[in-house]
Amino acid sequence: MKITAPHLGNVYIAAKALFDGLGIEYIMPPMNNKEALEIGSLYSPEEICLPYKIMIGNYIQAIEKGADTVILPGSCGPCRFGKYAEMQMNLFNKIGKDLNFIVIDAPTDIGIKELYSRVNQISKNSRRRKIRQVGALIRAVKVMNLIDEIEEKAHYLAGYEVIKGECKRLLNSCKRDVLNTNNPRDMIGILEEYKRKLDSVKIDKDKNPIKIAIIGEIYTIIEPFSNLYIEDKLMDYGVSTKRRLTPSWWVKDTLLKPTKLNSLEIKRSASKYLSIGVGGHGRECIGEAVLAQKEGFDGAIQIFPLGCMPEIVSKAILPTISKEKDFPIMSLVVDEMTGEAGFVTRVEAFIDLLERRRKNVLSRS
Amino acid sequence: MIVGIPKGLLYYKYYPFFMTFFKELGLEVVISPDTNKGILDEGVKYCVDDACLPLKIFHGHVAVLKDKCDIILIPRIMQVRNREYICPKFCGLPEMIQNSIPQMPRIIDKPIYAGTRKKLYSWAKDIGRLITKDKSKIKRAFNFALIEQDKYKPGYNDNNQGLTVALVGHPYNIFDKYINKNIVQKLNKLGVGVITEEFIEETLIDEEVKGLYKRPFWTFARNSYGFAANVYREKRVNGIIYISSFACGIDSVVIELIKERIGNFPFMTLKIDEHTGEAGLDTRVEAFVDMLGRGVI
Repeated sequence: MKITAPHLGNVYIAAKALFDGLGIEYIMPPMNNKEALEIGSLYSPEEICLPYKIMIGNYIQAIEKGADTVILPGSCGPCRFGKYAEMQMNLFNKIGKDLNFIVIDAPTDIGIKELYSRVNQISKNSRRRKIRQVGALIRAVKVMNLIDEIEEKAHYLAGYEVIKGECKRLLNSCKRDVLNTNNPRDMIGILEEYKRKLDSVKIDKDKNPIKIAIIGEIYTIIEPFSNLYIEDKLMDYGVSTKRRLTPSWWVKDTLLKPTKLNSLEIKRSASKYLSIGVGGHGRECIGEAVLAQKEGFDGAIQIFPLGCMPEIVSKAILPTISKEKDFPIMSLVVDEMTGEAGFVTRVEAFIDLLERRRKNVLSRS
Repeated sequence: MIVGIPKGLLYYKYYPFFMTFFKELGLEVVISPDTNKGILDEGVKYCVDDACLPLKIFHGHVAVLKDKCDIILIPRIMQVRNREYICPKFCGLPEMIQNSIPQMPRIIDKPIYAGTRKKLYSWAKDIGRLITKDKSKIKRAFNFALIEQDKYKPGYNDNNQGLTVALVGHPYNIFDKYINKNIVQKLNKLGVGVITEEFIEETLIDEEVKGLYKRPFWTFARNSYGFAANVYREKRVNGIIYISSFACGIDSVVIELIKERIGNFPFMTLKIDEHTGEAGLDTRVEAFVDMLGRGVI
């Protein structure tokens, strides 16, 4: 069995750590690229959201590299993501490509037995002892947390760095180096070293960079290809960014959900504007906007794929927050037709606006 | 006190319940007029631009109604069956309205869980308490409302003409004659009868849905899929027409599932949005009916 999984930001690093630790062959789909999106758009229904299309591209490119099994987390609504697995299975049947799906759903929807048997489908391929399998899982989670931490730090410090581009360079070489080893323990070592390196990046504490919060639909903000590498661009502009939704946040949130103790701070901040969950991460988007204002950010950028149902609800609410709190928020909608030039113009104009607000030119009139 | 009920979204399916309930509580009920160009324009003006047509029209209904009543019902319908949803936009509907339309009167936005009678009654109790202290009156109004709702059988079941098509889609797209450009009448004129999902028994829908890998978690998606699959299997109709609003997230999934199930069976998707021209729609419907009549497929 050769396992693959669709891309979501840096999850591939954790996935590699997990399967290397388990001793199962893992095929990493090529990093998201134009071709993957084109393949995806060719086979997908027209009106489905962007993540679906990119995922299809990932699968097909992974099949070309020899993958035969895909692992996909599931959910049961109300967002469309829950139906991905079924539609994708149908699609691969139709185009005659052999791909086995293992869908990891919540036990409340499929029963604990079924979940166990699905997980077993993966773990039976590992010849390691149970205790070592658990160890591999723990190390994979650690890798995920570390890479998320490193990324967050790099994005934030980019506004303060003395040597321009140092954070971005470190982040990129970190992502490159960590893949050079097949031992999860070495991976953790490499990541920890890069974390230390980032801590010793020369920063200018007196600088007061523009700070922007990235909010919106989880896939399009985490997966850089889908948002045309907006965070990298903002690093180039010397803007500090913060994004609360990360793969490690998602894991924590999903595990805590049954106890209703998940992301309390976000929920509390959102409650004035949206008291009820609307599926996806609509409520989180509202809460993050409120929190960003409270934490002294200059503005927020909301990103979501065309037709995303939960984010349309939050898009309707964000202007009120913007007005009441005097806090600029820009919504960007992405799909396979998004042109880079138009996208960049809007981001640049938004940063200009934030800078001018600082200098108070707007109130001079 | 005057309570306003906008004639949009699930009004067509559940209006007897809400109307009877408020009338029995002794309130005056006003309803917005049938959807028309003016309402659509108001809706487009206020609503967030990424939303679907039915939602924009609902905004329009609220906009024309807001000055005519003291309190307005924006039903936040979370569930009509247990463990199923409708659409994420329904869960956030009151917030969307409040943040998009200025100077709103008081609104009733308490979440409605209609999965069981008991849950629905707890909604009725809370709303009734705003109006009267008399608990038995609320209970009576609630019971009456349910009886009225049970009596109400919307939908079409006309297979006495030469050809029959199944009309599938969300109830508001099927029943709002402005949204679908009065497609039922158009089909009848061409000598085609229409069946809708209300005339298929629940058990048959359940049976069809069992064939899916994943439990469908949207009520109306479940109905649409079950209905389409059933009429296909039992050959009750000559073709299927799916009315879908542009950018509807749920339809983008359901249409794929239906197509997968029915193979080469005649199937047409009518996409509608605020720019839909009637002539283009006529042509497509006529062509589809011609095709059915000739038995091409």
